[in-house]
Amino acid sequence: MAVWNLIIANPVLNVLVALSHVLGGQFGLAIIALTVIVRLITWPLNKRQLNSTKALQEMQPKIQELQKKYGKNQQKLQQEMMKLYKEAGVNPLGCLWPMLVQFPIWIALYQAIMSALAATPESLLGLAQRLYSWGIVNQAIPLNSSFLGLDLAARGNIVLAIIVGGTMWVQQKMTQAPAVDPRQESTSRIMLLMMPLMFGLLSLSFPAGLGLYWAVSTVIGIITQYFVTGGWGYLKLRSPFQPTAK
Amino acid sequence: MFLIAVGLLSLVLVSCSGGAQAVGGWSGTAIDDGVIYAGTRDGRLVAVNSSTRDVLWFFAIVTTSSGGLSCGPTSVAAAIYTTPIVDTDLIYVGTYSGQVLALSTVARSQNLTFPQQRYGEWEWYCPLDGAKSNAIVADLAMSGDALYVASSNGRVYSLDKQFGDLNWESKVLDERHGKLWTSPVIQGDTLYGSTLDGHIYALSAETGELLGWSFEAGAGFASSPVIHGDTLFVGSFDRRLYAIETGSNVSRWRFPEEEPAGNWFWASPIINEGIVYAVCLDGRLYAVEAETGEKEWEFDAGSAIVSSPVLTDNLLVVADESGTVYVFDLSAQFVDEAVPLKTISIGTAVKSSFCAQDGLAYIRGQDNSIYVVDIERGEIVDGWPLSLATEK
Repeated sequence: MAVWNLIIANPVLNVLVALSHVLGGQFGLAIIALTVIVRLITWPLNKRQLNSTKALQEMQPKIQELQKKYGKNQQKLQQEMMKLYKEAGVNPLGCLWPMLVQFPIWIALYQAIMSALAATPESLLGLAQRLYSWGIVNQAIPLNSSFLGLDLAARGNIVLAIIVGGTMWVQQKMTQAPAVDPRQESTSRIMLLMMPLMFGLLSLSFPAGLGLYWAVSTVIGIITQYFVTGGWGYLKLRSPFQPTAK
Repeated sequence: MFLIAVGLLSLVLVSCSGGAQAVGGWSGTAIDDGVIYAGTRDGRLVAVNSSTRDVLWFFAIVTTSSGGLSCGPTSVAAAIYTTPIVDTDLIYVGTYSGQVLALSTVARSQNLTFPQQRYGEWEWYCPLDGAKSNAIVADLAMSGDALYVASSNGRVYSLDKQFGDLNWESKVLDERHGKLWTSPVIQGDTLYGSTLDGHIYALSAETGELLGWSFEAGAGFASSPVIHGDTLFVGSFDRRLYAIETGSNVSRWRFPEEEPAGNWFWASPIINEGIVYAVCLDGRLYAVEAETGEKEWEFDAGSAIVSSPVLTDNLLVVADESGTVYVFDLSAQFVDEAVPLKTISIGTAVKSSFCAQDGLAYIRGQDNSIYVVDIERGEIVDGWPLSLATEK
């Protein structure tokens, strides 16, 4: 725990509080600024992921050809697709790494938001032990938890939950390649709904500050994805297994 | 990513548990007529005979929790941060759930249902205002027939101490300054309140109206102010102690003047014979000239000091977060004042304010036990847990 605090939690907390002071006491703006910083730090990983997404999109005609050719032999189809991915230098699981890298930051941010906003007397007292001696940090206390009508320390903001879920659905849809068979199609469809739903529910349960981080981070993800991959990706693409209107 | 989300959801579910768990708080001890009163970490007010150590009575303060997303409404114990105030047969206490209770020692010792109006008992709920918390963290203040309550909703309330009726409500501070976690101090007809964002306001204790004077500092105030003569002494988040003359727009002095201390001055200082004794979360006790702000001496306890020092018979008692109690002899002529006369380890963290009487200090540790320390002899006389299992 001491190592975690020293290396991740306390730096995130102090940067967040310092940013809040610099940005006129606006803790919400500090969260947005920190989100941008996190996005910049993880940019090399994100770029790799986006390039993989782009390559996957470009490979779609070839994948569909393989589906037609080996549609009845799933094992062969998988083998041929893996071969295709290998030739193109694409890792279909590459999108996991940026998520894993961000996970400790989410935890640190959650802790930082709870500590910095000092929702309880214990957290205010605990904050004293975690703040650096920088004047800028100590003078920023207590932080203003109001931002655009949100109480960043409060839970259960339904609008924010919808924004988090909605933006996450858009981002997922942009990157999720169409399924290669009907079975996979149903799994993909569930995943496409489950993730935004799950994060929407989490946004309701965690302080709004964390929901703000998720929403901003996802919106930045959508924007960068749009520009790097050159469009909306699979967002407009219809699944070949979905029934079409006659 | 799915696994990550499941993990986070599990965290939420795990964190959602109601029932009779420890709820926290750091209520201190008060002593009156041989009885020690303290709020416990499981939400009870306990009365203990200081001689026999018998629990005379206890009262569990319960509130309703909405339980959040995944939990339904449940009855939970109320956290108590305020130190009880004893006034003849009534004990007053505020809770984190926004209640102020007046408990009769007579009714409680008979375990009658609460409130027994014939014994003067009452309960008052701090109003909820939208999403603002109505938690009461700051100690209650009493003056004349009134009880003063500072709430997390940013408002100050004056209650009739006999019936619990609302005398007045001051909304002056809430709009701009947020929650009030520091206790007001009353001098004559004036109530002084400090805010976490660095303001001091003077209100009429009679009507709650804002009086002409207010003070603004560069940083928030961490401690409740203490008034001595015409000067308020208050600790700040900028790691300094301020002396502010009432009616003045500039501080008389701030300590340390140059380099700030190692942490916040969280606890209220005490003043004795022209010297301010201020403890700091950096683990130091500072003795400072009240007039000039010049440092007389300092002592490094090595662990954060959260609770205010207590003075009894020229002996200054300080307890730190590591559970070490220090006794300083302020009348010492031939020894160094800055060297503790006695050092006693009670072995558990101390965050609560404590009281002393007849050479004994009654300290509630964070392990939910009360320790009795003989100040002059420098030893623990007794200690007992306040858990339900040990009570009659």
